[in-house]
Amino acid sequence: MRRLLNLVRIPLLIVVITGGQPVIDIDAAAADAATTGVARKALQYWQPPGRPEQEAYIEEPLPPGFQVIVSPLEGPVFADSSGRTLYTWPLRVQRNGQAGDRPGRPSSCTDEVLQVSAGLMSPYPAGLLLPDLDRRVSCIDVWPPVIALEDAEPLGKWSIIERMDSARQWAYDGQPLYTSILDQQAGDVRGGTKMLSGGDAGVLRKPAAPTSLIPPAFGVAQSSTGRLIVNKNGYSVYSWDGDEPNQSNCHGDCLTYWTPVPAPENVTEKGGWTTFERSPGTKQWALRGKPLYTFNYDPDERSFMGADVPGWHNVYTQRAPAPPEEFTVQDGDFGGQVLADSRGRTIYLYNCIEDTFAQLACNNPGTTQAYRLAICGDGDAERCGETFPYVIAPTGASAASPLWSVMAIDPDTGRSAGPGQTDALHVWAYRGEPVYTYAGDPGPGTLNGQGLGEFAGTRNGFRAFFLRDIFQDSEFRRP
Amino acid sequence: MTRKRADTLTPPLQRLLFGTVALFVTGMAVAEAPRDGRIGYVMVERRWAVYSEDDLDTACPDGFNGGPRDQFSELFPTDNGQQYTELESRLMREGRQAHPTTSKDPFPYYDAQGLISYGLNLDNRIGPNDLQSPAGIEGIDNQVYRAVGCIDGYRYKGAVWQFDTSDMLENLANRFVIELAGVDDFHNDDEVTVTTYRGLDGLHKDATGTLSAGGVQRVDMRWGQPFIYQIQGKIVDGVLITEPVDEFKLIWSMAQNIGSYQLFQGFRMQIELNPKSAKGLFAGYVDIDQWDLNLNTNWTTHFQSYGHVSQPSLYRAMHRLADGYPDPVTGENTAVSSAVEVSFIQVHVMRPPEDVKVARTD
Repeated sequence: MRRLLNLVRIPLLIVVITGGQPVIDIDAAAADAATTGVARKALQYWQPPGRPEQEAYIEEPLPPGFQVIVSPLEGPVFADSSGRTLYTWPLRVQRNGQAGDRPGRPSSCTDEVLQVSAGLMSPYPAGLLLPDLDRRVSCIDVWPPVIALEDAEPLGKWSIIERMDSARQWAYDGQPLYTSILDQQAGDVRGGTKMLSGGDAGVLRKPAAPTSLIPPAFGVAQSSTGRLIVNKNGYSVYSWDGDEPNQSNCHGDCLTYWTPVPAPENVTEKGGWTTFERSPGTKQWALRGKPLYTFNYDPDERSFMGADVPGWHNVYTQRAPAPPEEFTVQDGDFGGQVLADSRGRTIYLYNCIEDTFAQLACNNPGTTQAYRLAICGDGDAERCGETFPYVIAPTGASAASPLWSVMAIDPDTGRSAGPGQTDALHVWAYRGEPVYTYAGDPGPGTLNGQGLGEFAGTRNGFRAFFLRDIFQDSEFRRP
Repeated sequence: MTRKRADTLTPPLQRLLFGTVALFVTGMAVAEAPRDGRIGYVMVERRWAVYSEDDLDTACPDGFNGGPRDQFSELFPTDNGQQYTELESRLMREGRQAHPTTSKDPFPYYDAQGLISYGLNLDNRIGPNDLQSPAGIEGIDNQVYRAVGCIDGYRYKGAVWQFDTSDMLENLANRFVIELAGVDDFHNDDEVTVTTYRGLDGLHKDATGTLSAGGVQRVDMRWGQPFIYQIQGKIVDGVLITEPVDEFKLIWSMAQNIGSYQLFQGFRMQIELNPKSAKGLFAGYVDIDQWDLNLNTNWTTHFQSYGHVSQPSLYRAMHRLADGYPDPVTGENTAVSSAVEVSFIQVHVMRPPEDVKVARTD
């Protein structure tokens, strides 16, 4: 065979003309940043140090004993008096049935310790005995119902629903409320997410949350990098370093590429949202003093493309805290950027929801490891460790971010190591779950492990830690 | 989109090369060179070339291979009242799927026995395992036909047959564009250059919703570099014939939020060109491990069940039928001869200019 392949490398030059400033090669700049990792992520994705920006929310009357906590990734959530995040479990359809709570009806999460599979997911039948039967727990062991005191009374969207055992359970917007045993401290939201999730990923719990304080012209999309602001049509909004507080310097040709987000004449300025008159009779929205725009060449909703232009940034109500310093950001070979380890290897998260009507998670070291071991090692823990190895934390490492931690893992079982276990692996964990790399990735930027497992990794398998996904929206979907 | 029968979709290249008159007529009609010597096309159909017109008793005398549901039922019958654990059943099956080399396949595998299928002669030989084209050309190398020809889903109108194209159309990551340059004569030109890209735009449709020529495809220079190849070729009687290239990545994602590709060795195109459309074959030796990864990440067990595709069984069959590119260490063949039916519609290809003004302030 003749080998005639010629890979064409044509640099994409994007030139910024700013009052006679030098031409900037964004492709080269992006390549440099991708290599250095930290600089790129600090600039683009993560909450800048010293800027504890938080998402504002609409205050509403709360029954005694409840509060709002602004979590580092998911923004404002309701919590009990101890700071434990409250969750709902809205009913959703699966492949072969449904699970979750109907609004206004008693909870489906009971004290029954389920023994067999429900057959909700294709292609496996119901009635299969579940793993680790001797260690199984009930739904309420994992999701304690938020019980109302005897004298508690409904208030606004807060109501009380009688459980099947006659206990009174708080509900919000008709959905029974729970806490999660996965949450360790105030602000943890490890039991669920506001991110999108498809039906095949299981019936996930969602954090109960107050309404974001954003003008009607905007929305907030939950991403892996924080709370991204979009306009009413779902398109990203941007800010520009060339502007001044509540004053736009984007005129002339700039408007060929950027459209100011128009504001109505009369608005109530709250939560950092302001308006200013950009020209006589024309007002523009700003957040925290930064004038807001949409990018005229964004190809789709929730885009990061405008931020490829130097000086322009996506706008968040709050960004996620940065991961530990050793992590890097890499361009993924299928379009986008992924979180990677210090060698540039793509980071993966493991997802698992069991096939029962309780839809309990099976993706953390406190639960059975049978599902994970099947996918990564055909049941063999040693093979599993070779195929999807943990990301070992340096000795003495700790994370500044509340989303990240160092976790001790028993290498033989994959469960949390016991106190003082000498052969424990100390591994990086995100939201209380270990992160992995994949042995089948030959180098930085490859994502060969993406989707391995049941239902393309959403149900029982591995998904890459996407920060930006050009074609598949993975950064807005669980994990 | 109008679907046609596989036999009419498959490029009658052999007929062309052997003098079928009709195509010469078509060729003559388009003999003028495109403007600037360039013409672009975007892919609108793509599926493994499996000849499905023969008698099933001939092609698959033992019937079709079983898929995940069939094999599960056989391994774990419930009519005896036995209860199974997830560990020994579901998770065992999933483990074997992710790790097909850790055990032997307990099921017989039925290769397609037919003597006819689509494809090209990749090794310029007529070997004992070669097939014959529907037009009677000997030496066709398409062992993928043998591997999947008795899997229901890969045959005409089967689940894989359908989804391979429909998922391609729905998933923008799959947008596959070719641009021919240096075309002096659309009918016969002994030197043209074909550049492949990922496109970034939706497909152009007419008022009836039918895909139509004349649209625009911007090409992805920022993220699509792994799929940009420049290949030399020629046009013979209106048919583009390219030189073989190794390590060719053909974007091949399904609709499960996964970016993926098929990896070909000795990849080549034979495509009948028209001003508004093109159709024909891609052919080459498809890498088994990448095929397996693609199937396991894009079409996991539930989806494989649609088409009665058992990945662990198919993986072993592919290795058994592998006929090219031996591993330098083990000597075991790593790739299987194959052909892909493709069709295109004409588009205007837009590459980013070298200088794009994106922002300016007065």
